[in-house]
Parts: sequence; C-alpha cells; structure tokens
Amino acid sequence: MSDDDNGKLKFEPKILMFACNWCSYSGLDLAGTSRIEYPSNAIVLRTMCSSRVDPTFVMKAFQDGIDGVIISMCHPGDCHYIDGNYKTMRRFMMFEKMMDDLGIDKRRLKVVPISASEAKVAQKVIIDMVENIKSLGSIRESAIATRTKYYDQVIQLEVSGGKKNE
Amino acid sequence: MSEEIRIGVFVCHCGINIANVVNVPEVVSYALTLPHVKVAQDSTFTCSAPGQNAIKEAIIDNNLNRVVIAACSPQMHEITFQNTLRDAGLNPHLLEIANIREHVSWVHQKEPEKATEKAKILVQMAVAKTKHLTPIEDQFADVTNKVLIVGGGIAGLRASLDLARVGFHVDLVEKKPVLGGHSARIGKLAHNPRTAKEITQELINEVLKLPNIDVFTNSELTNVNGAFGDYEVTIETKPTYVSDSCGNPEEGERVCPVEIEDEYNYGLTTRKAFFKPYPDAIPLQFLIDMEKCTLCGDCVQACDSGSVDLHEKPTITEREYGTIIVSTGYSPYTPKTGEYGFGEDRNVITLIQLERILADEKLYDEYFTNTIRNIVFIGCVGSMQDPMIDGNNTYCSRMCCSSSFKNMIELKERIPSSNIYFLYRDIRTYARRDERLYEQVSELGVILVKYKQDLRPLVHSNGNLKVQIFDSIIQKEILIPSDIIVLANGMEGPKDFQNIREILKLSCSDGNFVKEAHAKLRPVEVPTPGIYVAGAAQAPKDIIETVTSASAAASKSMIPLIKGKVPLQALQSKVDEEICGGCRICISTCPYNAISRVTLEDKREVARVDSRLCQACGACAAACPSGAMQQIGFTDNLLKEMIAVMEVPI
Repeated sequence: MSDDDNGKLKFEPKILMFACNWCSYSGLDLAGTSRIEYPSNAIVLRTMCSSRVDPTFVMKAFQDGIDGVIISMCHPGDCHYIDGNYKTMRRFMMFEKMMDDLGIDKRRLKVVPISASEAKVAQKVIIDMVENIKSLGSIRESAIATRTKYYDQVIQLEVSGGKKNE
Repeated sequence: MSEEIRIGVFVCHCGINIANVVNVPEVVSYALTLPHVKVAQDSTFTCSAPGQNAIKEAIIDNNLNRVVIAACSPQMHEITFQNTLRDAGLNPHLLEIANIREHVSWVHQKEPEKATEKAKILVQMAVAKTKHLTPIEDQFADVTNKVLIVGGGIAGLRASLDLARVGFHVDLVEKKPVLGGHSARIGKLAHNPRTAKEITQELINEVLKLPNIDVFTNSELTNVNGAFGDYEVTIETKPTYVSDSCGNPEEGERVCPVEIEDEYNYGLTTRKAFFKPYPDAIPLQFLIDMEKCTLCGDCVQACDSGSVDLHEKPTITEREYGTIIVSTGYSPYTPKTGEYGFGEDRNVITLIQLERILADEKLYDEYFTNTIRNIVFIGCVGSMQDPMIDGNNTYCSRMCCSSSFKNMIELKERIPSSNIYFLYRDIRTYARRDERLYEQVSELGVILVKYKQDLRPLVHSNGNLKVQIFDSIIQKEILIPSDIIVLANGMEGPKDFQNIREILKLSCSDGNFVKEAHAKLRPVEVPTPGIYVAGAAQAPKDIIETVTSASAAASKSMIPLIKGKVPLQALQSKVDEEICGGCRICISTCPYNAISRVTLEDKREVARVDSRLCQACGACAAACPSGAMQQIGFTDNLLKEMIAVMEVPI
C-alpha cells in the first residue's frame, strides 16, 4: 500500500484470478510475452480446468480478505475437457445468487472466458476488475459497513466505542 | 508422512528478463524466512546446464525433498525442471514453478517495487503448495494392437492401407453400403490422366484384398467405452434384407412403390427403397433402405421365396482398439430452395452434381446437348458467408475454384461452341499447379466477372433462365441468358454426424468440421487422446490434401501401437473410500465416464476412478460434497492454503 496526497493509505485491492491451464493461463502468458501490461493486483492461481474451482475456494478467498475473484476459462466449445467451462458457468451462476444473501457485492466476482490468444482481453478484465473493486472499497470495510448497518437499522442494536477486538 | 519437509527455492534472473524488474536478492532472502525453506538461491539462467546442476547439487547437499523454482511460465520449462529433479533422485512431481516472468516482470515493467512484492507472494504460494505435494509414480496402460477407422471414403481407405501395410490390423467402418465416398463417383481430375473413380476403386480393391483389414459397410458405431489404448467399440451392421442367393432382385426393385431422391447422384435422379447403389459401386448388391421402406411387402412377393426378409436383425460386433481415426468426410453444401434459382429450375445445378453428370454418360446426355450455348458458374455458394446475411459458413471451401476451372476446361472440350461465364467473388487457385488451370481457362475464353458480396448475381428462373450481374469493369448491369447454371457449392461438416460426435466426444469448429487439438502442433489429433482426424472431416480439403492428412493420421495413430504403452495422466482424481458416501454426484460430473460406483466388502457403495480414463480436469473434486474426491496436485487443502497465504501482509 502506498500513501496518497492526504497521507492516508491508498487502497490497493487484492485480486485472486483462477486460470485454467489450457486457455486462460496461456492467454496470460501471452500477455507476458507481448509485454501487455496490467496492474499487479491480480495474483494468478492455475488449475488444470476451471471446473476444479470449488465455490468454497471463492468463499474462502472472500473470508480471507481477498477483495475480488476472477475465474477465467476457455470459451464455450473450446474446453480442453469437453465441457468443464459450462460446469463452471453453471456453478457460479448459482453462486452469484448466493452472494446477494451473503451481503457480498456481485461485482467482486467475475467469471469470464479468456482464450490462449486473448492477452488483450486478459488485460482488460484485470484493469476493469481493479477499477471496480477500487470503487467498491476493501471487502473488510464493506463487511464492517454491512454489519454496522444491520445492527443499526435492522435489529437497532446500539453500537458504541471505536475499540477493535482483535 | 513423518518425513521432514525440506524445501529449496531457486529464483531465476533469466538474464535481465526478470532481474531488471524484480529485485531477485530480495525475493531470495524473503524465501529464506518462509516455513520449511532450507535453501534459497538465485541463478542467472536456471534452465541452463549450470543452473540445473546447481539445483541438483543443492537437492543432494541439503537433502531437499521439495523444490520451488521462480522463473518463467510452467508451460515453458516445467518438463525441463521435472527432469532435473528426476536426475537428482527426486520424484518429478515434487516441483512447483512460480511464474515470475510472464506474470510479473514482463507485465509490470514500470512498477519494480510492486513487481517484487508480487513475486514474493507467488513464491510464498508455491512454497505453500509444495508442502502438500506427494510423489506420483508414472503409470502406463497397454495398447491394443488394432486401429478403428470410421468412414470409408478416400481418406479412410488411404489410412487403412498405410496401417495395414505396416502389419497392423485395421477395421474400416462405413455407414453407407458402398465404399469410396464422394470420390468414387467423380470423373476427371485436374493434372491427372486417371479419374477419381479409378483411383478410388484401386484403393478399394486393395483394401478388400488385404487380410488384415476388416471392412464393415452399412455399419455404424453405437457405443464407445474404454480409453486411449483400449477403446471398446460396438459396431452395428445393418442388414441388406436381400439375400445374395436371390435370383431376381431386379423384380423387387421394379415393384417397389417408394420413389426417393438418389443421394448417390446428388438428387439428380430418383431411386427406389429397394435399390442397388450406382452401377460401379463396390460392394455392389441389392438392399432395402429401411428408413424409407413402407414394409408393403411387394418385393417379398416378387422375389424368389425366402430371399427377402424385411425383419432381418442387425449384426452387432464388439471389438477393442488402441487408436481410432475419424475420416467421416464432408457434406456438399445444399443451396436453399430459391438460392440462385436452385430447386426452381432443373438447369440450376450444383458443382458436385456437375461432377457426377460429367462422370456418368447417361446423366450427361440428359443435361448437356450440343445446342447448349451459355453455361454460367457462380462461385462461393455456401462459402465465405456473412452470418448477418446468409449463413455461418464464413470460411473458403478451397476446392471449388479449381474444381470449377477443371470442369470448365472439360466442358469446353466437349462442347467447343459453348460460352462459359464465371461469376466469382475471389479466385483462389491456391494449390500447386492450379494457377495453371486459371491460365488455361483464360486462354479458352471463359468470361470472368467479379461480383461483390452486396451485389450478388440475380438468377431469373421464371421461364427463360437468365443471370443478372453488375460488371464492375464497365460499371453496368449485364444480363446473361443461361442454359445451365452451376453453383460452385462449398463443403460443410458431415451431415447426421451428431451420433459419432457424441460417442467419440469430438469438438467442432465452424461449419461443423471436426476440430483438431492444435492446428500447428497437433494437426491430425483431436484433444481426446488416441483419436485422430483424417481428410475433409477436419476442414474443406481437395483430394491431395485429404490423402496427405490421411497418411499423417495413419502414421500418428501407429505411434502408440508401436510403443505398446501409453502414459496415464499424473494429476488424477482419487477417492478417499473412508469418507465417500456414494452420492454419485461425481459420476454425472465426469466428462469421460471415468467414475463408477463399486460396493466394498462392508457393503458400502463408494465412487471409484478408472485411472485409464481420468484426464485430470478436477471437475469431480469441485463437485464432491464430502471432500472424499481429491485431485492429486490440486487438493482442497493445497488450494485453500495457497489462497490463505496470498493475503499475508508483507
């Protein structure tokens, strides 16, 4: 994190990006070999197929304070494992519905096809995600705000003191 | 596993590729602070011989049992470094690569500090991952010494011969009752004194002669089980319903009341449901087309008693094969009714119909007489389409220009007084020597008129056949009175191909052609191991390209047979039978049918993965609700720990 003009810490989102070995990881490699630059916030985690990505991994990432998650995969019809990407799309369509109930902004998750030749797409996906998350703020702060709002407005619990219980 | 985990981290400078951006010494000293890391070193070029030797020495000197290499993409050098580990006596799967070149130094060149931080995180995640890695022994499966070829056109015939001559057993399965596909019905070829028919028949006769080729005509695959090296295939051979001993089958054909389009003549004529394919077909026999037969029984009455059995059952053959070649060919594009007058006037024909007409004297006399004056060819019908306007065949069918030219030359020879027009969008006589055809056609006085996609020729088919076209040279509309219009139709993937496609799990590209694994690196293989593609099933091809790719597929499909063993995927899924509740969710998730349910001695039902079939995608592991299913090298614990250490503030 770096200081901004007011001396306050500037928010640098942490983004976890799942990439399948065959299409998306190669696309990200191509971004490297073509020197297509993107923000350093996204950390790539390789799996053989996007269908290995268990929704609990995404939950775990949000719990651990990762501000955004990208799941990249092959385009429909191009999956190395026939139809793994369709499974991923189905799973995360359902997961997105759950995110509402869990109080996590849907924009923190992006499921997107990136082929091995789409380095520019990879770059755009990461830039857009970083922009989005910057406007949403850190997931910790959103969680605190949601909970405070819940106490405040729903169960009207009195919240006092600024002491953090670590 | 009580053995102490001892990790070595090796950070590569890649000359200046990494070191110019990432502070390598800082990453090395950071790595030393990580748990279980005993050694951390840097190297100018880790992949070089000295770099690899340094790793080997470090492994041996420090008794390391896990290795992290922070360098280029694993897709670049994972295999190189796995061999380094193997040389040092370590299992190659105890390696993890942190990609700090493609994913860090090359994409964050302007932010060296952030790049260094990201490199540290990636190293930290790799270190966390290696803790969970376990040695994996290489597994192999035996290969059945037989090849299955699906499709008995010129590609399938060529591949069968190539394989059989080496000594392998080949089964050739053809859906139609005859061999040879399209090329057995075509006449003259360019640059060749012999006709396509003669060449194909020569191949067919040789195939039928060789003892190690079994031919199944009138047959289809109904099921494929097993995996690379041992595909278990079920072949269904349809009956002919007419016995060979029938003395008067012609009588059966005569009385048959069903009259349908004859696909062997591309719809130019009709045939009965009780029929004999074209006159020089091999094998030549009478049969009944059960899809069209009305079971009226007239032929049973007309023929010798007992020689026609309308209730004959199909024959089922079950065999095993090491590899499979798909040579299912193409379907000629059929113009829509009204497309350039097709279907509205009998003198509007397609190029493939013209090929058939020129190969068959009887048909020729029906369509061409010496009074024919104007013959108009229209190019790019069903090719180079625009999805917004006419269809999804956006590709060039490659053979239609040369084939049209070849036929124009023949027509000029047969009817010297005729005028031939070619209305084209582009002329692509790309093949070797085909530019000569273009020159020849020009010399013969064929009139070439270019049209644009938005200014297509207009065919007036009411009464007198005429073609209206805007000539861009004189900038005026011209009207050509036409006796015959030939639509140079392109190629599409085989029709009614869905069945094979599903059984063999093939993926398709534009135009419903079979998609190869990689156009340049694996051009005749499909992604599923042990399955190859030959000929025009893959893309529009002329005969030369078709037989070339067929020979290529034949040689490729021999390799596993010669080796006798095929390696199995290393990073497969495994079930913890203690935990598995037998819910079957994984079974429906697996795209390869690799998971089945077995009953244990204590009567519990659990899932089991067939290591011959598992291709290591990990979909089942993500679907498993109990965590019993785990993908080796990508277990839940491993991935969750990698995610956990991604956030650790530095």
